[in-house]
Amino acid sequence: MNATTPPHLKWPANADHTAVPYSVFNNQEVYDLEQARLYNGPTWNYLATEAELPEKGSFKSTYIGDTPVVVTRGQDNEIYAWVNRCAHRGAEICRERHGRSEDGAYTCVYHQWSYDAKGDLRGVPFQRGLAGKGGMPKDFDKKQHGLRKVRVVNYHGAIFGTFSDDTPDIEDYMGEDVAYHFKRIMHKPIEILGTTRQHIAGNWKFYSENTKDPYHASLLHLFHATFGLYRSSQKGESISNNDFHSVLWASGGTEDESALDDMKKDKLRTLQTGEYELQDMSLLAGTQEFEDNVTLVILSLFPSLVLQQIQNTLAFRQILPKGKDEFELVWTYFGYKDDSEEVRNYRLKQFNLIGPGGLISMEDGESTELCQNAIVRDGEYTNVIQMAGKEASGDDHLVTEGLIRGLWKGYKELMDF
Amino acid sequence: MSEIEANVIFSIENLNRDYICALDKLDMNKWLACFNKQGTYTLISNENESNGLPIGFMLDDCYERLQDRVTQVVDIQEDSTEHYQTRHMTQLTNITDLGDNKYKADFNFTVFYTQDLIEQTSILGAGRYEDIILVENGKVSFIQRKAVLDTNVLPRYVPYPI
Repeated sequence: MNATTPPHLKWPANADHTAVPYSVFNNQEVYDLEQARLYNGPTWNYLATEAELPEKGSFKSTYIGDTPVVVTRGQDNEIYAWVNRCAHRGAEICRERHGRSEDGAYTCVYHQWSYDAKGDLRGVPFQRGLAGKGGMPKDFDKKQHGLRKVRVVNYHGAIFGTFSDDTPDIEDYMGEDVAYHFKRIMHKPIEILGTTRQHIAGNWKFYSENTKDPYHASLLHLFHATFGLYRSSQKGESISNNDFHSVLWASGGTEDESALDDMKKDKLRTLQTGEYELQDMSLLAGTQEFEDNVTLVILSLFPSLVLQQIQNTLAFRQILPKGKDEFELVWTYFGYKDDSEEVRNYRLKQFNLIGPGGLISMEDGESTELCQNAIVRDGEYTNVIQMAGKEASGDDHLVTEGLIRGLWKGYKELMDF
Repeated sequence: MSEIEANVIFSIENLNRDYICALDKLDMNKWLACFNKQGTYTLISNENESNGLPIGFMLDDCYERLQDRVTQVVDIQEDSTEHYQTRHMTQLTNITDLGDNKYKADFNFTVFYTQDLIEQTSILGAGRYEDIILVENGKVSFIQRKAVLDTNVLPRYVPYPI
């Protein structure tokens, strides 16, 4: 963060982490600054699971922010990442989502400059010219023309990347509680079960807010509340680490009766207990696979990752900004390598709950777009984030917006707004 | 497809027509009526299908799940999702006789959608149906309808079957 923030992008005097100006969602300059200060700044960005890079030569194309990045497993079995842009004339090198390079080489199709898995330049056609004509200058040094490299870390089977030398150790970055819950889910080798991708016509931070917002979950998602998968009246906690990062957890079947009575008094559209019945109850059968009986974990690691456990569904959700008013959400679903057939079948059935067609998750895309539709102007106006007070901190309950306040507190500081 | 009797082709085309008309009218009970009691419905991306990965957008693996899909669309999600009008365009590409009155049928599809508030029309997705169809005693029904989407990045979320 060397340059100073342009005065017109500074937040108005009445704005803080309880009242965020809409300019953060609708301004191209803000978006461009985020790419510089967040995604190219001291943040760890989720890139892949190790399971997606199973053997030497495996690769996966993805992004840090909107910068295209390729993650590779080298011939030395180490994992590397680099910007997917040829050092020669800027062409995209890797044009597949994932695959395996048999010879470990990555060659730009334009002029066939080739690189190894580390991103080092290995070959330049006609470097010495043809029949004494042409060629690169004699002082051309291939070592000076490698790809832009990304520092990576493999944290319990998940690969993260950063452009900044200032980014702290990954566990210090996420904080103690977030690290605990991350390791709780990633406690043994995983098996990838599939991927889905959806475009959402909204600013990516509306989705970041959504995943730190236990307040909405009982109110927007009728399936959630009606069938008791999640209710704000359940035993649970909202935990904030280092402002940006958070964990929401809840235990199904642990209703606080007085809280549930209060919910019923509110005559919520989404609380229709006894109104609807499932013909196929096996959707909600599942198995209690964690000893702590926690049935819902939404772990949000700023800026690009949500790791979730909902019942027996496990997934990484990668948030990929595509502009000030659009992003792509990539869901990577997994189970564990040692899953029995019975557990695997539970997971497959329950994946109906999540994803772009998910019974309890599709409305999140809708709410994001509803917000974006309404804030195209009035960037100086602010929202109201005061449920459970004004502190940017977690709570021992789920009727709070404290984690969202944490997000904006950290964001304001890192963006120098 | 030339070995398939004309009345079978006609029946299969009729079943597909009933199916897409039901969805375009959002008449979910007529959608359900296209399946028999062994019926299953899958909506999956070509990315997962071609990599042998089982996860889909919708995995209704028994008739009761199909019934619950109807309840979900008609009652549960009614006012929390933005309605869009669909237009399904389909083309029969192959029929194979599997014996025992069962046929494997393939259709290509394109689905246009028009959101209520936006009132502009875009393509929701393109792909293919891979069907197992029972033609028996003058009745025709799906044992399996699997919609495989070429459109790996959906333009939005999908509250309705395709």
